[in-house]
Amino acid sequence: MLKKRRLAIAVLLALASALPACTRSKRADCASPEVFCVGLVTDMGKIDDKSFNQSAWEAIQRAQKELGATTQYIETTDPKDYPKNIGTFAEEQYDVVITSGFGLTEATHAAAEQFKGVKFIGIDQFQATQKPNVVGLIFPEDHGGFLVGALAAMMTKSGKIGGVLATDAVPPVYRFGEGFRAGARHVKPDIEISVVYHNDVGFDKTFTDPEWGKTTAVSMIDKGIDIVFGGGGKTGNGALLGAATKGVYAIGVDTDQYYTVPEAQKVLLSSAVKLITEGTFDLIKMAKEGKLPAGNFEGKSGYAPYHDLDSKVPPEVKTKMEELRRGLLDGTLKTTVPPTKDAKGQP
Amino acid sequence: MRDKLNRLFAPLLLPALSVFTAMVLGGVLIALAGGNPLEAYAGMLEGAFGSPRAVSETLVWATPYILAGLSVSLAFRGGLFNIGAEGQLAFGALSAAWAGHWLPRLVGGGLPAALHVPLTLLLGALAGGLWAAVPGWIKARAGGHEVISTIMLNYVALNVVSFLLNGPMKDPTAANVLSRTPLIDESARVPALVDGFRLHWGFPLALLAAALVGWVLQRTAFGFEIRTAGQSPDAARYAGVRVGRTVIVTMALSGGLAGVAGAIEVSALHHRHELGFSQGYGFDAIAIALLGKAHPGGTVLAALLFSAMRSGATRMQYLTQVPIDVISVIQALILLFVAADTLVRRIYRVRARGERLVLTRGWGG
Repeated sequence: MLKKRRLAIAVLLALASALPACTRSKRADCASPEVFCVGLVTDMGKIDDKSFNQSAWEAIQRAQKELGATTQYIETTDPKDYPKNIGTFAEEQYDVVITSGFGLTEATHAAAEQFKGVKFIGIDQFQATQKPNVVGLIFPEDHGGFLVGALAAMMTKSGKIGGVLATDAVPPVYRFGEGFRAGARHVKPDIEISVVYHNDVGFDKTFTDPEWGKTTAVSMIDKGIDIVFGGGGKTGNGALLGAATKGVYAIGVDTDQYYTVPEAQKVLLSSAVKLITEGTFDLIKMAKEGKLPAGNFEGKSGYAPYHDLDSKVPPEVKTKMEELRRGLLDGTLKTTVPPTKDAKGQP
Repeated sequence: MRDKLNRLFAPLLLPALSVFTAMVLGGVLIALAGGNPLEAYAGMLEGAFGSPRAVSETLVWATPYILAGLSVSLAFRGGLFNIGAEGQLAFGALSAAWAGHWLPRLVGGGLPAALHVPLTLLLGALAGGLWAAVPGWIKARAGGHEVISTIMLNYVALNVVSFLLNGPMKDPTAANVLSRTPLIDESARVPALVDGFRLHWGFPLALLAAALVGWVLQRTAFGFEIRTAGQSPDAARYAGVRVGRTVIVTMALSGGLAGVAGAIEVSALHHRHELGFSQGYGFDAIAIALLGKAHPGGTVLAALLFSAMRSGATRMQYLTQVPIDVISVIQALILLFVAADTLVRRIYRVRARGERLVLTRGWGG
């Protein structure tokens, strides 16, 4: 009895190990010139992170619909897999490999060196040195910051607004924060603005300190500030939550935070956003046409919809916001924010 | 002959059945999520072993898993539950990064690779070992349970490392915004095993470490002391073993292995210590040691299994869109079945036999 059972188990085990050999999945032939393949390697986040990865994936899905691209993504669970995950696409001769997020800058460069026939798009990856098959998609964050700064200045009742951000040593954070300041000043020169950067801790903490974000926001609100701009990962999210508990307006950052911080939906006025989907799609399209640039490609930065608070925003404010947005786009309006903190004072 | 075979394979039965059951349940999960379990597992297999590069990547994954798994296994054999491998690993990596970059500058001049590489790994082992000796000492001299002290010391270690990587040891290059050390010198890097692949000499070294741990445990008087102190401290004491000292040394050796795991990742793979490079290898090591029944050979097999899953997961997702998290679920299920092996015995009607492995004891034991 016992022996039989053991035999049965052994047979089952043998079967289970033999079965996989019989199945083979079909895959697209990316090597052929007619097939246009686009792959996405995420940073440590998931594909549906409602942020960078998801925005990039939406661009790729649009490319699938509009450009007939063959698409696929790989989620990274460990930084040491970056080369392997990028290599998975490159070895299958994907035409374009997109890597999402600052953390993949070096891995993308190394892969570009190894796979010269593949084009790489690095989202949020500033290219300090140029490689012929890599383009970094970067954003004028100061535009988004400027717009929501103007919005805050027009919407405040107390005449006091505040920004709670991660460290200004990271250029995009600096551009968001200073853009906010410049935008507010632009529409209301006498406004009281308090922008606080979380510079007192290390880089591992500055983006992941929601407690600090929340208490800083709350103390600002206690001093009469009635609109809080929160930016920089979880730290900024903490500021949004602080505003939500106090019942004052909040403004988010990077992506439409109506979806990433549901607790703050009722008070979320807008978000200063990087238009990742649009920028990524534009680049994919250029790649399809064989016109992909090298070096840095500047995407766009704007502001997110008002969502629940749409009825609270007066029509003249909405009109002014659109006017400012167009001004920044066509270059008739300048934010005057230097690209980095260090570049301050230089022309 | 038959007896010998039996003795060799019988201990593998329950772990193998646990893995099998977990894979079946994982398969059900994949099917529920709308995937084809067989295709998914085939993709995983292909991703883990389907090409020379895949094998290389799997073994790259296996290296820290084997070393950290041995660390936890060795402690288990000494009746100690070392949950602090993650912190010991972090200190090992930190120390290796220091030895790789700052040591040559300290002694003024480059070191030859023949000296620099071993020194880098040894300092990694030393850092991990010293750090693990602390909970050993607390246990031996003050009666503090190592489960609690090793967990707590993880936080201390990770925060100290975080401070150093953000401060004194941070790469001073102006463009650098990440919490990481500068690159270590070429002379401190463990070389690749085969040109063009990431597989490095750390893997054979890990296998060697497994053989060494097995030899020490089974063939030396000291190994006997470790095992006796682990199985029955009172008997050991009666037999003249200095149990307190043995506990401290066992913890130090265990921490040393975890330290090498961290040092190898720095010296052979990343060539610097970057915050967060270990995605919980020290915790996965506990599962690996449990699955390997705290036996060095078993630990190697378990580490290979875990690394094949981790490494093959990418291709599984690439080919079949089955979410990569399935792997974590399966690994958790494996751990569950290994820990609650009565469950597996019931399912497959396997009789209990032989000694049970004492993993850890209560307070003051």
